Amino acid sequence: MKRKSVWFALLLALALVASACAGSSGDTDSGATTTAAGAATETTVATDTETTEAPATTVAPDAGFVGTSLEAGGCDYGGRVDSITAIDEFTVDFTLCGPHPAFLAQIAFGVFGVQPAEHLEATGGAPLDNPIGTGPYSLKEWVRGDSVVYARNDAYYGQVAPHETAVLKWATESAGRLIELQSGNADGMTFPSPEDFATIDGDPNLVLLDKPEPNIFYMGFTNTFTPWDNVDVRTAVALGIDRQRLVDTFYPPGSETASHFTPCSVENGCEGDAWYDFDVEAAQALLEGAGLGDGFETKIYYRDVTRGYLPTPGNVAADIQAQLKENLNITAEVIVMESGEFIQASSAGELDGIHLLGWTGDYPHVTNFLDFHFADTNLQFGDPIPEIYEPLKTASQTASAAEAAPLYVEANNAIKEFVPMVPIAHAASAFGATATVEGAYAPPWGQVMFNFWDNGTDTLVFMQGNEPISLYCSDETDGESLRACAQVVEALYSYTNDGEVQPQLATECVPNADLSQWTCSLQQGVVFHDGSSFDANDVVASFAAGLDAANPLHVGNSGVFEYYDYLWNGLINAPATDG
Amino acid sequence: MLSFITRRTLLAIPVLLGIMIVVFLLMRAIPGDPCTSMLGERATPEACVEFNEANGLNDPIYVQLGIYMKNVLTFNLGESVRFSRPVTQLLIERLPLTTELAMSALFIAVAGGVPLGIIAARKHNTLIDSGTMAMANIGVSMPVFWLGLMLAYFFAVVLRDTPFALPPGGRLSAGVFPVPYYEAWGWNLTEGTFWARFNEYIANHYIFDTFITAQWAIFWDLIRHMILPAIALATIPLAIIARITRSSLLEAMNKDYVRTARAKGAPERRVVTRHALRNSLLPVVTIIGLQMGLLLGGAVLTETVFKLAGVGTALFDAIIGRDYAVVQGFTVIIAAGYVIVNLLVDLSYGYLDPRIRVK
Repeated sequence: MKRKSVWFALLLALALVASACAGSSGDTDSGATTTAAGAATETTVATDTETTEAPATTVAPDAGFVGTSLEAGGCDYGGRVDSITAIDEFTVDFTLCGPHPAFLAQIAFGVFGVQPAEHLEATGGAPLDNPIGTGPYSLKEWVRGDSVVYARNDAYYGQVAPHETAVLKWATESAGRLIELQSGNADGMTFPSPEDFATIDGDPNLVLLDKPEPNIFYMGFTNTFTPWDNVDVRTAVALGIDRQRLVDTFYPPGSETASHFTPCSVENGCEGDAWYDFDVEAAQALLEGAGLGDGFETKIYYRDVTRGYLPTPGNVAADIQAQLKENLNITAEVIVMESGEFIQASSAGELDGIHLLGWTGDYPHVTNFLDFHFADTNLQFGDPIPEIYEPLKTASQTASAAEAAPLYVEANNAIKEFVPMVPIAHAASAFGATATVEGAYAPPWGQVMFNFWDNGTDTLVFMQGNEPISLYCSDETDGESLRACAQVVEALYSYTNDGEVQPQLATECVPNADLSQWTCSLQQGVVFHDGSSFDANDVVASFAAGLDAANPLHVGNSGVFEYYDYLWNGLINAPATDG
Repeated sequence: MLSFITRRTLLAIPVLLGIMIVVFLLMRAIPGDPCTSMLGERATPEACVEFNEANGLNDPIYVQLGIYMKNVLTFNLGESVRFSRPVTQLLIERLPLTTELAMSALFIAVAGGVPLGIIAARKHNTLIDSGTMAMANIGVSMPVFWLGLMLAYFFAVVLRDTPFALPPGGRLSAGVFPVPYYEAWGWNLTEGTFWARFNEYIANHYIFDTFITAQWAIFWDLIRHMILPAIALATIPLAIIARITRSSLLEAMNKDYVRTARAKGAPERRVVTRHALRNSLLPVVTIIGLQMGLLLGGAVLTETVFKLAGVGTALFDAIIGRDYAVVQGFTVIIAAGYVIVNLLVDLSYGYLDPRIRVK
């Protein structure tokens, strides 16, 4: 008996070794229920039963559970993910292509919500208006053009909503949303106009909820154009613009003049020296030294689109124009561009003057601010600067935040020294609520969850700026869609009201020593709104649908899955493009 | 009559074709692209290439135009890039609201504008005339956006908790939705068929739907929500109609046939209503027809202020989002509506002035 067991164990080990070898060769026959996903990758099904016919990548220990996995078959494609595997019913393993300290902050982002694998399949990978999740609400009805109506999930494992129904409505104009609030037809609203802050503050029936939205507004230069190729000229502008005046004049109360590119609320964001003080004489001296003491002509490009970080673009552009003339004798022509054209041209480094742009963080990690803007692949500020991107690259692969801190000191100081842009402001923003609502809040990261709001009635009404584009947020990028989805679909992690990450559908995700592999234990007993049980395969299927371009369920709304592409450094099996 | 209608209908075809081509080319001439609008500011160039390829936006313009024309001629208005839904479905959802809003506003404009014009003409050169026309001038020059916000603020915030309070926006109260008549009556419609979609379109005229199915609570909720936007939208047409009615009636009152009627001893009321007014209505009807066309396509501001999901806001969002199919499809439908309204106006001339019918 014992002898047989030894032989059996030996055979099993050989089978596993064989399957591992086959997997690493990148030329696997993926087994009984393999979904071929392109030449270099595959989505395999691993079973917990002994098998000699299918080279399984995973042996799941739970009886009867068939674990799936998504495999990139290596990291040559350039992305971050090597494989995602359902180890067992409630364990998922993320094997990455390198250390990823921001992993938890990233997977808490709403686009990585989990839906049942069966539902994704049933909807052909496009549950655009019928999401099924595990959240505090199920979707009752989406009345196109009017509202999204949610029904309370009484079986929710977290805080069950105090009201039976939540209604999400929208009005493009902040004034329209405010009137709904003032008239008692809504309980909460997003982003009142800064001019209305005082109105809300002064109304005893309303409450202004500070929303410390981490953002940055900056003036960018493209160093491939003269005179912006001269660091002294860029520094002169950095010294010669009164940023405090801009903040005091054009930004709502609570906004701050930026000391660094990244807001200080983000860990390691404000390492290194603070930005230059306003010093016209020093600025003029630098221009003299550069042979431009008499000034020069340039352009200020911006788009006439209001954002939290730039509430009044035209006014700010005009003031910068005036300051350049007054302080540095620089004559700047203000050019308003169409938004898409502006983004395209600025991203490609094609703007020969100063461009006014900003950024709102996606997740609370310094890489989300610095790496995107100052990486060696970004041409927005012209030729990338090694003194900035090299420490950033090292920092982004450093496990400990404390160990990474000196690297961010180096990077931030290099940004100050080489001035690819001038950070101007971290703008304040807010939500509004009626005073009778208990538990009203406006989170810095992630989405406001209605189940924490108690207005004492059966129906809660919340107003936002626009209608969601779809309710399948894996393939959406706008905040309105993400807010609508968040009530229904949850991710493995979420953000606390303080901007920290906390386990949501996972109980914890534990990294290996260099943070390149994360093993997530999932909550047990969680049930989707359709009554099906949540397990590891749902996580794999949800990620596979977004991340693997060759997956048959990689359909979505636009089909581009922009955030998967951008946050995981590229899709697996991405089609080759000429552009 | 039939040949007149046929001729006018045939004449409408080149008009609609011309509009289609002009709108198609204009949309592609303006800066910006659907990719950035759709995928957001962080869309990578690679993602845009893929997106454009998937949506046929990399094809030469003439190829895109050819495909578009062919689709429209086969009653396929295309699919919204933004919402991944057929344009016809968006029309089924959006057009009924705009139609109800436009009809309500037109009703207010005509019901208010014609009597005001008559009163002003009857009281020519009196304080009433001056006051009425001063109000009309204010109405014409009042920005709809501002007026809408003021109305909403006054009736929803200032009069809050009074019997006169009205909702500041939306089509219905939160969470309230009417039951379509076909469901209320137990009709079994096969989803996706033309008949089902036609009924869905009709039932999306909520006021009509709730009226015929006696859903009175929802009907009144709809009416309460419709009052303020209809007033805001009606203000300018009302003022225009009042002014045209006044001037047209004044002109008619000086005609020989009116003098004759008076000489015959006809009562003044009869002279005005029977002789002068009917003859002075031709320009008024023309203006009403034009206003109806404008109301159908131009209620963007009103719909925005009152948070109504009609054709105007859809069109505006589609232009901003470079959702070509929606802009083109909606424009064609609005243009067709305009053509139909003008045809009806022309036909009404014959009724109002038999001499035109004879010609």
